[in-house]
Amino acid sequence: MNPDEAEFLGEKQFISIIPTFNSGVVHLISGDVGPFRASLPTRVPLWMAINLKQQQKCKIQHPEWMNVDQLERIKEDEKKDKFFTKMPSEQYMIEAKLLLGCASDDVPKADDIRTIIKDIWDIRMAKLRSSVNNVLKSADSYAEFKNLTVMEINSIRPILPHALDQIYRMKINKHQGAQSTTLSTPFRTSTSFSNLS
Amino acid sequence: MALHPSYAPNFYSIEDILATQERIPCKFLGNVPDMGHLNPSTLEKDLAAGTVLELPVWLVQELSLGRHSIVATELPKIYKESYREILKADACAVDLHKFNLYFYELGKHIKHFDRKGDVHDILLHTFKTRFRQIMDLADHSVSDPTVQERLETLEARLFSDAYDARTKLNAWLVESGAILEAANMVVNHKKRKRMNLDIIM
Repeated sequence: MNPDEAEFLGEKQFISIIPTFNSGVVHLISGDVGPFRASLPTRVPLWMAINLKQQQKCKIQHPEWMNVDQLERIKEDEKKDKFFTKMPSEQYMIEAKLLLGCASDDVPKADDIRTIIKDIWDIRMAKLRSSVNNVLKSADSYAEFKNLTVMEINSIRPILPHALDQIYRMKINKHQGAQSTTLSTPFRTSTSFSNLS
Repeated sequence: MALHPSYAPNFYSIEDILATQERIPCKFLGNVPDMGHLNPSTLEKDLAAGTVLELPVWLVQELSLGRHSIVATELPKIYKESYREILKADACAVDLHKFNLYFYELGKHIKHFDRKGDVHDILLHTFKTRFRQIMDLADHSVSDPTVQERLETLEARLFSDAYDARTKLNAWLVESGAILEAANMVVNHKKRKRMNLDIIM
């Protein structure tokens, strides 16, 4: 999956805005949104919030987790913990990127937050890489990844399943080879994940 | 977005066809009438027992099958003891591309002739050891074309998949006006990554 596609999926997340205009309910396929009353908070999908913000028709109320204190705490936890910690949002990276991109004036201390989130991302990516490597090295029958977010899963998607698939193929052949002399073994018909990315 | 079925035995898999085209040495167990032309070093009409020839895998598979196998196979030298020792010592330092373009695919076919299972073990070992390297190469997007020349076909494909994904992700990260980036101080502070790794490992 493209990162852009992941972003598209992430944009369905609801977020609270304070509109500066009046309007009735907007009927969308995904559900009704509104009504909009000036200076009364209402919840809209992220993509709509971004769009309204770009037209200067609303103020975005940043998600609760998007403040320096909480993010610092998460970062410290992430550093200490050997495993992945739970992130406040499944799409934290997407939300952060979109909100800090177009509505940085609505987020207090946007620059600090930007830096911290990038730190968290880096730490988690480093963890991810080393654990992927460990999984392959040990190649046990299963592994558990908890608390990964959409973007992170997406980033290892093309390589991990494919590599595991290959290991599986190398392993499965041993038994077949040892059992008998027959070579016309029914291999599992498998498809590569590589082009799914 | 098309899935590409790439694994053996797949009729349409070019890689499988090419891999089974590789030759392995084998010895004929009995006389084979009228096949003398297979052995270019003799003019005799029949192929004598004991002749050692290099035959492609697809042929050997058929010949050594069944109760009356016609040939006895030997391991190609890249799967023999001495080469296995090299791979065990440090698989990452090896130029697999030079060993054989289809090291893994061929290995999967070869190991049926190897009763002891050494080939099986070395394939797994090599792949696991070198995986980290492939991942690193893909992530630290070096635009160095020589890198790929040292990878085996299967590895090269993994590499290019991972590399594509990585480039897309990086592009996504920087595309918006506001780039999420680490503070300059942090970027310049080289010890940072090592410290994090210590905690994780």
